[in-house]
Amino acid sequence: MMPSWPTAQAPPPPPPGTQAYSYNMVPAYTAVTNVRHSFGTSYQTHDSSAHYSQPYHSQTQTVTHQATPPPQPPPATAEPPKVEWPDSVRRYVQRSFLPSNMDPAVDRKEMEDKLKEIISSAKDDNTMMSIDWDEMPLPQTIIRTERGNNLMSNGFSQAVATQVHHIPRPSVPLYSPAKASFDVTLSNRHHNSKKRKSSDIADDARSSNTPPWRSNNHNHNQGSLKERTSFSPDKRRYDDAKASKSQTKLEKRQRRFDGGYQSAYRSPSPEPSAGPVIGTCMELEKRYLRLTAAPKPSAVRPESVLQQTLELLKKKWKREGNYAYICDQFKSLRQDLTVQRIKNDFTVTVYEIHARIALEKGDLGEYNQCQTQLRALYKLGLKGNPTEFKAYRILYFIHTANRTALNDAIADLTSVEKDEHAIRHALNVRSSLALGNYHKFFQLYLETPNMGAYLMDMFVGRERLAALCNICKAYKPDVKLRFITEELGFESDAEACQFIVDYSGQDLLQQKDDYIIFQTGKAGLLFESARSEAFRKVDIKGQI
Amino acid sequence: MDAIIQEFWKGRERKKPDGQCIATTLSTTVDPERLRRFVNSANAQSIKPQIQDRIRYDLSGRRCNCSKDEADGWGNIYEAFWKAASEIVVIQDGRGKSSWSTVYEAWKDVVLNVSRGFTNYNFERWALPVLEATARDLRILALKADDERNNTNTEDTPSFGDDFDLEGEKHQKLEDCARQLNRLFTLCLNDRAELERSRKWSIYYIINLLFKTYFRLNKASLSRNLIKALLAYRGDMPELTQFKVSEVVTFQYFQGVLEFLEENYVKAEDHLTEAFFMCHRDCIGNKERILTYLIPCHLLTSHSLPSDKLLAPFPKLQSLFGPLSTAIKHGNLKAFDEALQECEDEFVQRRIYLTLERGRDIALRNLLRRVFLAGGLEEGKNGGEPIRRTRVPVSEFQAAVSLVSGEAVDADEVECLLANMIYKNLMKGYIAHDRGIVVLSKAGAFPGTKV
Repeated sequence: MMPSWPTAQAPPPPPPGTQAYSYNMVPAYTAVTNVRHSFGTSYQTHDSSAHYSQPYHSQTQTVTHQATPPPQPPPATAEPPKVEWPDSVRRYVQRSFLPSNMDPAVDRKEMEDKLKEIISSAKDDNTMMSIDWDEMPLPQTIIRTERGNNLMSNGFSQAVATQVHHIPRPSVPLYSPAKASFDVTLSNRHHNSKKRKSSDIADDARSSNTPPWRSNNHNHNQGSLKERTSFSPDKRRYDDAKASKSQTKLEKRQRRFDGGYQSAYRSPSPEPSAGPVIGTCMELEKRYLRLTAAPKPSAVRPESVLQQTLELLKKKWKREGNYAYICDQFKSLRQDLTVQRIKNDFTVTVYEIHARIALEKGDLGEYNQCQTQLRALYKLGLKGNPTEFKAYRILYFIHTANRTALNDAIADLTSVEKDEHAIRHALNVRSSLALGNYHKFFQLYLETPNMGAYLMDMFVGRERLAALCNICKAYKPDVKLRFITEELGFESDAEACQFIVDYSGQDLLQQKDDYIIFQTGKAGLLFESARSEAFRKVDIKGQI
Repeated sequence: MDAIIQEFWKGRERKKPDGQCIATTLSTTVDPERLRRFVNSANAQSIKPQIQDRIRYDLSGRRCNCSKDEADGWGNIYEAFWKAASEIVVIQDGRGKSSWSTVYEAWKDVVLNVSRGFTNYNFERWALPVLEATARDLRILALKADDERNNTNTEDTPSFGDDFDLEGEKHQKLEDCARQLNRLFTLCLNDRAELERSRKWSIYYIINLLFKTYFRLNKASLSRNLIKALLAYRGDMPELTQFKVSEVVTFQYFQGVLEFLEENYVKAEDHLTEAFFMCHRDCIGNKERILTYLIPCHLLTSHSLPSDKLLAPFPKLQSLFGPLSTAIKHGNLKAFDEALQECEDEFVQRRIYLTLERGRDIALRNLLRRVFLAGGLEEGKNGGEPIRRTRVPVSEFQAAVSLVSGEAVDADEVECLLANMIYKNLMKGYIAHDRGIVVLSKAGAFPGTKV
């Protein structure tokens, strides 16, 4: 595809004054960037009018910023410039229009405008030759980043963001000549501010998570505040060394002014970079990837999307039962909740469902992560099924033989909860095991509520061995096999028989007329080693 | 400033420098008025030169007793202390923006400078009390900061983990404090100077602080690493007996509790017994703490119960263990269950519930023993000495168990309980299931009870 930006349309360097109003309409982003640049070294060159108009300026910008998201500057209508574009720039333009680089979320018009803006600003600052255009991020990338940042900082909904450029532009009065002087200073400032813009964008693209103007503003605000309040000697020395005294003072005064007004006129939202991410990703499914840095809003799904995701996953799980897929999806779901600090009933639902699925599949590692979260979430007073999961929790710690955690789990319970059926059951299981009451334990095993049986199945084998050891030592000379079947909660004699055979106790079984006897007296220490082996091999972490 | 520096001079006299004395000047709590005067006597710019000057020369222009290096070290400490103190004064006055978190961060700097004093500025053994006192305050301030933050519901800090770390957020500063203390621990442990001047003399003080911190963080198991590290250096370490008794008692207590939590009751008993006998006789609170774990230990290791005389000075323990002991003694299962239930919250909180629960075995043993004794004597064979009846119907035990536990217990469950007794060697004999009787050993059916 050919670059659709004929050189004729490229904006010329604006002669101050005449072009002023076009700058009045710079997109909100650029405007904020201006403000930010105003902190920088560019100050020395400003005349005082620029300086004093600044507060007003920033105010209008903030308003624009909130009310009308980025209208793009209208194509400049000035006379065609006679500029020779360097090859690198041409390549950059070409690259921007490659079909493979097109971003469906950014429409062409917006992209073209951005491209113009980038190049014209480079031209204005005479950085055309110094910029590494081959490494320069594409305009569509920059737009996306800015959108994300804008959303993140202002809490705009996705819908607003996509409609951004349909919003009507400010009407005529803004351009009225009455504002001429203001506009002059504006354009002047703008001109200066453009100096650092392109490189900033490059920077942005590289570390694109925090909007540069935000983080920078933030720092500057802090700096100015600090300067006003603190007496740090270090700072002074630094300042003294940096420049002549008068200049330093001037700078300081200017910064103080800007900073002060800046913070007063900024939107009342909390410290920008400190807040949680607000996602903008609309995809329902997302692969799990462990984060090593702050996430990009464009890769995080907002809660409304996550709710749809959960519905989808529930359906898929029912239909396909592909655990590897489901687990992966749930992990990314949980991650999105965490980075956005979403802690509500929905969060609880997500963890509960993942916990149940993991339990069903015997994935104790995931299950344990979920239950740890659930414990904390219930403590926050969120709704869910605390009795069900507190009961699982007790059973889980019985399985992992973690006495400390078991003690904590009991300590978490209120006396009301202790009377809830599921929890009562789990507590009874625990005490029957603690007292070696296998008779009671296996009765409880047969009547486990909810999904507790998945957990109990994990340790019922070792408890059977323990009970068998007990029986072999205490009963002489023999018992009927049926007795074992009943006492140890087997489904049938055959199952009991198989269990004994599995631990090489076949010699102890003897066929009588119409029943089988189990010669406990001859067992000796046959099951002891299997028993201690079974109790030793509890994987505390429960990872599979 | 003068008051504090004068104290410092007093402590830093040439012949017998007194670290304790200097440590009191670096306290955040002692005297709020003095702290305020100290803060007001300087400002952020002037504090550094002022302090340096005042430490090197006293008011009459006399030179300090210490080397230039050491004076620099002290200067840094007092400068950091001034900063921390000014934050505290802001809080005390209730003006401006300061929080215990800020104080904690400032105090961390004090501790850092103290430890630098030892590594870079030639501080010697006599200055260790300063290290100990500042480390102690660090922990106190961390607790305060966490309390404050948890009560004020501040914004969450963003996290990039997969899940929330709500526990960790609750103890943010205390966890950080644990890391700082751990650094001090290594600082003391790795000192290679000869023993007379070694930092090793602070090791148990720091370890005990760390134990407390870990227990508070619910990460008691991390204490294991400390003990392991200590064991590795055992050869170079002064004998435990050479340390302050108070430190040794605390150390033994925590070691005992650690073993207790890991169910090594015999080892736990050793440590706790040691701690109990070394404990100062007036430290009722500490003795009570030790006994809280020592009594359950005894119950399991030697099946013995605390005497009334032992419990007499501790009304709290009396109410906790009294009813339980009686129930065990009488073999009264119902009373036992009730007593356990009664104080369940308390027991769970002290982490002794699961251990005490096992006392039910002993109660049951005592009950079965009574049944056995009630069975009376049978005539001896061939006109010999009459002997106890050793064949006891299961139904007799069943009746007894049902009676004392207040509910009908079926024969199979009673057999199960008997099997357990036999398996655990609390009772000798066997069950003949088909005939429904228990055959007990003629020579000592209930080992250790003279029957």
